[in-house]
Amino acid sequence: MEEKKDGSKANIVMVTDGASVPDPREWRIINAWSIALMGAIGLLCTLCVVWPDSYLRILLYLPDGILITFKITLLAICCAVPLGLITGLGRISRNRCINLLASTYVEIIRGIPLLVQIFYIYYALSRFIQVSGITSAVVAISFCYGAYMGEVFRAGISAINKGQTEAARSLGFNRFQTMRLVILPQAMRTILPPVGNECIAMLKDTSLVSIMAVPDMMQRARSFVGTTYLYFETYTMVALLYLIITLLLSKAVSIMESRLNYYDAK
Amino acid sequence: MLHRLTLGLLLFTLLCAPAHAAEKYVAAADCYWPPMELMDANKQPTGYSPDYLKALAKAVGIEIEVRNVAWDGILGGVATGKYDIVASSVTITEERKKQFDFSDPYYEVVQAVLLPAGKKITSLKDLKGLKVGGQIATTGIFVVRNANVGADLKEYDDVGLAIEDLLQGRLDAVVCDDPVALYYVNKKTDTAGKLNISFKTQEKEYYGFVVKKGRKDLLEKLNKGIKILKESGVERQIAEKWMGSSK
Repeated sequence: MEEKKDGSKANIVMVTDGASVPDPREWRIINAWSIALMGAIGLLCTLCVVWPDSYLRILLYLPDGILITFKITLLAICCAVPLGLITGLGRISRNRCINLLASTYVEIIRGIPLLVQIFYIYYALSRFIQVSGITSAVVAISFCYGAYMGEVFRAGISAINKGQTEAARSLGFNRFQTMRLVILPQAMRTILPPVGNECIAMLKDTSLVSIMAVPDMMQRARSFVGTTYLYFETYTMVALLYLIITLLLSKAVSIMESRLNYYDAK
Repeated sequence: MLHRLTLGLLLFTLLCAPAHAAEKYVAAADCYWPPMELMDANKQPTGYSPDYLKALAKAVGIEIEVRNVAWDGILGGVATGKYDIVASSVTITEERKKQFDFSDPYYEVVQAVLLPAGKKITSLKDLKGLKVGGQIATTGIFVVRNANVGADLKEYDDVGLAIEDLLQGRLDAVVCDDPVALYYVNKKTDTAGKLNISFKTQEKEYYGFVVKKGRKDLLEKLNKGIKILKESGVERQIAEKWMGSSK
């Protein structure tokens, strides 16, 4: 925790297995992020140029899978972020019923592995409701990450000094307005990095959906391996591609963070 | 001194002992391909291929332990030496022959297309626009892909999951080897009667045991064993046990 000028304590919430978001104040050219990115891109290009008949073939085989990976991630982010916000608000709600509901949801979902949730939604629930592979993937991932993000939102909102609420309320804002116009905009600054982090972790976890025969990047790679038996080459390529994508996304989160923290700089 | 000598001798005999016992090999089977490979009630690999391999081992005087390994990557494991043999209904194909060595064929299959009971197709062309499932990287998938009929291919981790989706109506057809298709149509209680084999391909495929490229010693033993089993009629007995007398 760091003490802010206004006396509030900003919680640093890091609870994920996502990529580490680079510090926006770090402007040196050579840092961990640039080494990793340049290394990955350099290696990828070298491999493709030196052994085009294996590595380049794999690279050309994967793009439709990458698109599916992005599609699932984007849809899941669109569902998980609002779900997380609602859950977070529910967790700090004074209404006992809503509070209990949100807390139970978080407890249940956090205790079940994502892979099991995906199996459950796709294969177990298919007895009652039929959904396509992509829909189940989006639903499973959204529910799972909604719970994680709920915790991030709750922590971010609770980190805002109580004086802010009191001031807003005494100025005649109702509770909804206080939350929307005063608390959330401030909380966003602490919430954004870990939420961005969750989104990156989400992208990585979409590799689990290949068990539902959804042709994402991982499944395309496995299918390629199944016909060519180039295990080493294919999985090297897949690892590099995931790495490059997550590194770029973490940079994007970092840039957004620095925009939000514009007035905090220095 | 005498003690040391005795101890030394004892150690020597202990070290030498395994050399006189039967040679031991490890085989891998993906036990989600009934009745060729499946798990028995004690979670041990069983089915046609493991039975065949055990009979073969007995015939040539070696020992073989069969392990359950996921299909995805099963051939990679033999290449890296995690086990010596893959006994998992691996069809001998030209592409696979480039990377691995195969024993002589030990079983013959064709590809079968499973549809829900009552539905029919007459050729692979009829799969155009349909959702067709199969196990990832099996010859069934290759056959439909190479036929290039415009089917929407879905690759599952194991064929059982594809059958489940076929029963739920999320797939229109499943393609797999004909003994497996027959097993789901006739033997498995919760799927029997709900499915039918509507179409079988003409091209015959042959299963072979897979070894790492260059394992001539092991291949010789396997081929010798296959020959013995074919001649002694044991092969027919195992086939009858798992496939019924029709085959």
